[in-house]
Amino acid sequence: MRLVIDERRCKGCNLCTTVCPYHIFQEGRNLNERGIIVPVLDRPERCTNCRLRHLYGRQLCGACQLICPDQAIFWEEEDPYATKKVVIEY
Amino acid sequence: MSTETYEKWYRQDRLPHIYCTGCGNGTVMNCTIKAVDAMGWEIDDTIFISGIGCSSRAPGYITTDSLHTTHGRALAFATGVKMANPDLHVVVFTGDGDLSAIGGNHFIHACRRNIDMTVICMNNMIYGMTGGQGSPCTPVGKISTTTPYGATEPVFDLAELAVAAGANYAARWTSYHVAELIKAIGAGLETPGLSFIEAMVQCPTAYGRRNKLRQVGEQVEYMRSHAMLLAKKARLEEQGKEIPEDMFTVGEFVRRYRPAMGVPK
Repeated sequence: MRLVIDERRCKGCNLCTTVCPYHIFQEGRNLNERGIIVPVLDRPERCTNCRLRHLYGRQLCGACQLICPDQAIFWEEEDPYATKKVVIEY
Repeated sequence: MSTETYEKWYRQDRLPHIYCTGCGNGTVMNCTIKAVDAMGWEIDDTIFISGIGCSSRAPGYITTDSLHTTHGRALAFATGVKMANPDLHVVVFTGDGDLSAIGGNHFIHACRRNIDMTVICMNNMIYGMTGGQGSPCTPVGKISTTTPYGATEPVFDLAELAVAAGANYAARWTSYHVAELIKAIGAGLETPGLSFIEAMVQCPTAYGRRNKLRQVGEQVEYMRSHAMLLAKKARLEEQGKEIPEDMFTVGEFVRRYRPAMGVPK
């Protein structure tokens, strides 16, 4: 599972930054194309629901999704063999 | 709540909704949807009814049948729906201005008749949609456009009012306490008879802006730190200690099984 913020819905209230026990959501700095500062994800692979959803077979934690007033936070299935873009620093 | 639940119950073509940045009404909608989905109710059996106000726009974003009615009369329309077809599950979204000011009479009589429905009141302590006028729930000393020197009138305690008027279930939580709010709404949906759940929500645009709570986080933190559990209040009273004036109580006020009206046989 992968944690996603829907940038078309988020209004930048930063309520998700107050509830996450791992502080995955951090206040963003840059405006997106709608003129809203969307929170950025800090190492989202730490999220409990991302890691253990399939093991337990049910929704875990999910406080960020519940408190998000704009229904902008959700999880999506991850393709285990998807190609990922890696930026190499020289 | 999974993503499928969202896609099932929310009208994706209507989102994002018109609520201001950080408005707590969306949170209460999420909690209600989760509780209703956990009950196993179907879209065709459930109906959401609302009056006028910010909170009352909520049924417009939900897939089920809904009624957006006149100011304060949501409970009157809901009574009609329930009497016409008792098999429907009726949930009423309402705000503090809608329920306690203009619809106060309907509210106490719906509680007295104990009609089988769930009333969710999103109490933002102000009339948000019309520009921030003071409502019966504006706390003493707080500033709104009609109380520029601070509100002086005593506050309406809606959950206590529901208990006194005879509702079967009454609870109050805030939009910060999402897990407890879901449990309370779930208990209210299960209980036959009128269940009243008051959800205190933040209103950064109309209320917070005038009361030094401009940021959403500040107002949520205010609600978190000023909520006092009913058990703690009872303990303080027992010990004879002073209860701070600016605190409000949260918790389950009553759960009883008076004879209810409109329960399908």
